[in-house]
Amino acid sequence: MIYLLPHTITLSAHRFPDREAFRFGKNSLTYREMDKRMNQLAGTLHSLKIKKGDRVGIYLNRSIETAIAIFGIMQAGAVYVPIDPKAPVERSQFLIEDCDIEILITQPVQKRKITQIISDKNNIRAIIGLPEMGEIQALSWEVVFAASAEFTLPFRILEIDLAYIIYTSGSTGKPKGIMHSHYSGLAYARLTTELYNITEKDRIGNHAPIHFDISTMGYFTSPYAGACTVIVSDAQTIFPASLGKLMEDEALTIWYSVPLALIQVVQNGVLENKNLPHLRWVLYGGEPFPPKYLRTLMTQWSNTRFCNVYGPAEVNQCTYYHLPGLPENDEPIPIGAVWNNTDYLVVDESENSVVPGTTGELLIRSATQMLGYWRNPELTEKSLYKVTDSTGQERAFYKTGDLVKEEAGLLHFLGRKDFQVKIRGYRVELGEVEARLITHAAVREAAVYSVRASDESQKIMAAVILNKEVAVSEDELLQYLKEKLPLYAVPEELKILTNFPRTSSGKIKRGALEFFKLEEK
Amino acid sequence: MLDKKIINYILEELHGGQSDLEILPEDDLLGSGLVESMGMMRLIQFVEEDNGIKIPPQDMTIENFMTVAAMVDYIERTKNNG
Repeated sequence: MIYLLPHTITLSAHRFPDREAFRFGKNSLTYREMDKRMNQLAGTLHSLKIKKGDRVGIYLNRSIETAIAIFGIMQAGAVYVPIDPKAPVERSQFLIEDCDIEILITQPVQKRKITQIISDKNNIRAIIGLPEMGEIQALSWEVVFAASAEFTLPFRILEIDLAYIIYTSGSTGKPKGIMHSHYSGLAYARLTTELYNITEKDRIGNHAPIHFDISTMGYFTSPYAGACTVIVSDAQTIFPASLGKLMEDEALTIWYSVPLALIQVVQNGVLENKNLPHLRWVLYGGEPFPPKYLRTLMTQWSNTRFCNVYGPAEVNQCTYYHLPGLPENDEPIPIGAVWNNTDYLVVDESENSVVPGTTGELLIRSATQMLGYWRNPELTEKSLYKVTDSTGQERAFYKTGDLVKEEAGLLHFLGRKDFQVKIRGYRVELGEVEARLITHAAVREAAVYSVRASDESQKIMAAVILNKEVAVSEDELLQYLKEKLPLYAVPEELKILTNFPRTSSGKIKRGALEFFKLEEK
Repeated sequence: MLDKKIINYILEELHGGQSDLEILPEDDLLGSGLVESMGMMRLIQFVEEDNGIKIPPQDMTIENFMTVAAMVDYIERTKNNG
């Protein structure tokens, strides 16, 4: 019976021992090898006296070791915590201290950064993946792979126990740890396997780093279905031409990423003459996909189905929208319907349900829901909307903070609740302004944000990145918006930039734009 | 020397002159985290301007830009063909 995430590896090792489980560049591991590696790492962690539920940090770039680390840690009855090696040292230290991480799993290329991270304030006592680390115990991967593959967990773990913690930036500026169980992870694996009909024949392109929940398809769904996950390298994420080549060479059948990765591929024209006959599904999530790019891509890959995936990391995925055909206009794509094993409510500001067609906040209760925020019961409590049903059972919905409108059975995403500003009493959805801006032919990407003026009133600001070929001025773009939006919703200022500040997963950091413009010359 | 110039740009412009860094022409710039995505875009721009060449998107690949040595090789090939 499968009730823990590492069971998926063991089961697939029985069903498909010689099929590829994970692939990275020229390295690949079959399910048999993966099962062995996972047990070797789990045994190694127990030789380091790891206890039930201990948090182990994964400090790795995109690499095949990420798969071994994730499953080895969970197989050992511990909890994996991805730490982004590209994040500033202070943020990594915060995570390590916040989670009481004592053991880190890494690679020799990270040694320089690890040296900076280790401090008196944290309790790092062992590093796996380095041959040597001064006074701290270090065990190289060679040592791990020489360990016995016979491993039995000396205690019991339940499906409802903690499996991993993913950190996201909190609105207070302090990252918050989202706790997921084996149960929520497996629920996600089962739901996606069913929804996209994933089998052992699939080859899933994993673009997301492991600290981003989009990676759970490559790392959880794929082993559950016995499929192969092709881990995109950091270098391939940077060069669209190399990414297009990978999609073709690896005969990927499923692709899942943020829109940006695909937009770059479209814009660089590197897909011409590449029709990718094996590609069954393109899933995108994390941000809206501007219809103008989606149309180009869907025309190019006419045999591929496209799905808009929606869900905050707290519930992983919760809705889906299979595009029925080319987007006919530039209206944002719906986020679609709530998937199985999930309930939802749309409520107004007083938390009363609204009738379909009215804007409200989306609340989600799902099998894929988090356990809560790590060591933050107050924040967890605040994030929940609780109802007691007729049997006296309490049902806790997660408040997504996202505004939606339901029309004809489909949910439409309208923006963040806190992304809504009031300008002279008028309510403006910044997301809507952004969606209008992106319809301009010269605009490649747009970000709209608000700043507080000295008199405490809010001002709408916009920043755009232009397509290289088209010349347009800031005033022309504002004029364009004036023709499409009520005057109060037109940004006070618009800046043309060459770059946006972004999160490590490629999302635009709108909150940082206010300061970002200062650096831009 | 072209490779020295590129290494110097990475050290001075992308790393703000951090003195404890050493970059060799054969170092994997992206795999090692020495250069990140935005840094690579700046670096490509620098290479274009410094050598008076225009790099088409299909040439912006791992093979051509993973190491300083690969970049030098690419630039020389492009210049000779131009």
